[in-house]
Amino acid sequence: MSPGSGGTRLVALNAAAWRSGLAPGDLLSNARSKILDLQSCDADPAADEAALRQLALWCLRYTPIVAPWDAASGADGLFLDITGCAHLFGGETRLLADLAARLRRFGLQPRLAVADTAGAAWAAARHLHREPDTSIIPPDGQDRVLRELPLAALRLDTEALDTLCRLGFRRIGELMHQPRAPLVARFGTSLIERLDQALGRVAEPLTPLQPPPCYRAQATFAEAIMTQAHVIEAAVRLMRPLMRDLERDSAGIRVLRLLLFRVDGEVLPLEIGLAAPTRDAAHIARLLAMRLERLPAGLEADFGFEAAALHVMAAERIVPRQSSLDTADAAGDQEYLAALIDRLQHRLGPGSGQRLYPRQSHIPERAVVARRADEDVVPDWQIETPAGSRPPLMLASPEETADIMATVPEGPPRRFRWRGVLHEVAHAEGPERIAPEWWHPGPRESERDYYVVEDTAGRRFWLYRAGHYGAVQGAPRWYVHGVFP
Amino acid sequence: MFKPTGQITTLRQLVGRLEATGPGGPQTYFSLSLPEIHCHLPGPGLPCGALHEVMAAAHGDTPASFGFSLALMSCALEARGGPAFLVLSRQAADFGKPYGHGLRQLGFDVGRLLLVETRSGKDALWAMEEILRAGSGVAAVAGMIETDIDLTMSRRLSLSASSGNTPLVLLRPSGATGTSAAITRWRVAAAPAARDHFDSFAGWRWQVALERCRQGRAGQWMLEWDHAAHRFRLAEIVAHRAVSPRPGQPPAVNRAIGNDRSAAPLRSGVAR
Repeated sequence: MSPGSGGTRLVALNAAAWRSGLAPGDLLSNARSKILDLQSCDADPAADEAALRQLALWCLRYTPIVAPWDAASGADGLFLDITGCAHLFGGETRLLADLAARLRRFGLQPRLAVADTAGAAWAAARHLHREPDTSIIPPDGQDRVLRELPLAALRLDTEALDTLCRLGFRRIGELMHQPRAPLVARFGTSLIERLDQALGRVAEPLTPLQPPPCYRAQATFAEAIMTQAHVIEAAVRLMRPLMRDLERDSAGIRVLRLLLFRVDGEVLPLEIGLAAPTRDAAHIARLLAMRLERLPAGLEADFGFEAAALHVMAAERIVPRQSSLDTADAAGDQEYLAALIDRLQHRLGPGSGQRLYPRQSHIPERAVVARRADEDVVPDWQIETPAGSRPPLMLASPEETADIMATVPEGPPRRFRWRGVLHEVAHAEGPERIAPEWWHPGPRESERDYYVVEDTAGRRFWLYRAGHYGAVQGAPRWYVHGVFP
Repeated sequence: MFKPTGQITTLRQLVGRLEATGPGGPQTYFSLSLPEIHCHLPGPGLPCGALHEVMAAAHGDTPASFGFSLALMSCALEARGGPAFLVLSRQAADFGKPYGHGLRQLGFDVGRLLLVETRSGKDALWAMEEILRAGSGVAAVAGMIETDIDLTMSRRLSLSASSGNTPLVLLRPSGATGTSAAITRWRVAAAPAARDHFDSFAGWRWQVALERCRQGRAGQWMLEWDHAAHRFRLAEIVAHRAVSPRPGQPPAVNRAIGNDRSAAPLRSGVAR
């Protein structure tokens, strides 16, 4: 139930409630007066959506294209595009029987329908009441079936339905032969579009749960598997047919998704990305093992996994290598390096392998940027080096110093305290003045005067003074920004 | 002083031959281009497939030991092809993270550098092993960890290094005491930089002690890193002393440092 106009209204009912003559949209108070021991609880659309998503994930075992219904369709079911998939299960009838049996085992009461169009299947599943609750509309048969169904089977909004009802339309068949122009004038294009979609005159795009994979392989196990070693073994076996197909197309895997179907209907999706396209099954098996180890709660096998599917979500062409010339070595190096970076990223988290790239900026912290190492661009450091000295180690953010003593106002400090240690300056070089980049938005920074200072112990620091005397309130502050070796 | 007899020399040569052929093939070396150090080492340079330890004399000398490690890496990069890996655990980055322009001014080839940042020292050790075992395509690996390692771990690292024939430079924390399987151990302290005739910095200097060297001898030097030529040189003390302080500079501090520091390296240079 959920709050509606005029009070709390019913949203969804179980079979017993349907049999007692209640309907969604009834007022809770009316329903209570009809059935004294009515049990009700608050509607939780978020949980419903999550459960539907989970079910959609589970349905990926039948077809790679699964689309949960949107709000206009009731958001309480799924479209499965089984084009070309039915024969894998021994035909449409057996696929439906298998699906229904499994869904019943989860405690659901499925109503299933197969038709040429998504609209016709929806209409049949919702409004064609047959026993058992599965119906298969033969090819090109949607015309005949839809004719007899009520207008609600067209997925129209309630306003249009009410109007059509007042005009005396009851069944879809009555609409089919009406002149179209007046209908469009009265209801807009949506009514005609729904009708045409259901009849297969215009295409209806589905929004799939995940983009359909480029390649896929799937296996159901005779006995549920539980251990990590078995999962890897199964994945390696699944990879064999995939690798054949990939080799034929001279392509390699960039993104791979392993779906593990648990006996109780949970689905565990694992995704791994690769730095370079590969067909190396052993390498992928290692990455999968690392991915499994990184799962926060471990491999939650419970009663085991009954099926597994491998989906190649992104594939790229592998440029065939020439093996006789000098370049072969370089290409081989690139390959092993990509594999190494993959392993590091998978164990240590994405972005843990980085390269440093120079950037056009005078501000020291903006002049270098660290990017993920699996980007193929090799940094080009053949550029003009900054005129002043730069430290090999730079602090993440400048740290303020205390107890500054400078002999001349605009000169280097004679002593400073940093991290609790007092440093007597023996020699200093500078200043190198770096002005802020005024074209960047944000608060105005002050100019910085950088000094390289060496203390009496021979330790070297990169200090700067923010602003100059007189320009800022009180004495300007000094910061340590880096250390020299 | 102890003089090795003929028998011991033969034994040493035998051990040397046995160790020269590790699992990764015959041992190769990278040169430090400094004869004064080379005569302390068993081979024609530092062995490639081996673990080399660098320790800071005190925590404040960590930047100096980092600089020295980078210099060792540069020497290895000069001799070998492929990328260089720098593995850093986040807690060890007390003095900040490597900065591209600064590395480049040290003469380090930043284009070949791959930085690996890990959450813990344990992950860093794993990463180092993984990289070393990946094959011989890596030029050099350097690691910086905040925790000390035990003998077993250092032996593992040492074996990994020899299996891929890749040098590993490990920066251990300054207080580390544990024994290790490293072939060489260097202890580095900061030292006042070299200055040119205009009294500006001309080269970074470190007080470097070779504390441990298998089949070699310990030694101590004041080293200066020549970032243009990618080589070390012994600090020249005499040139420095000739400089008279600039009129604007506080003379007392400057001269006192110069005298104080110049004496120490001379002694160590002669003591060899």
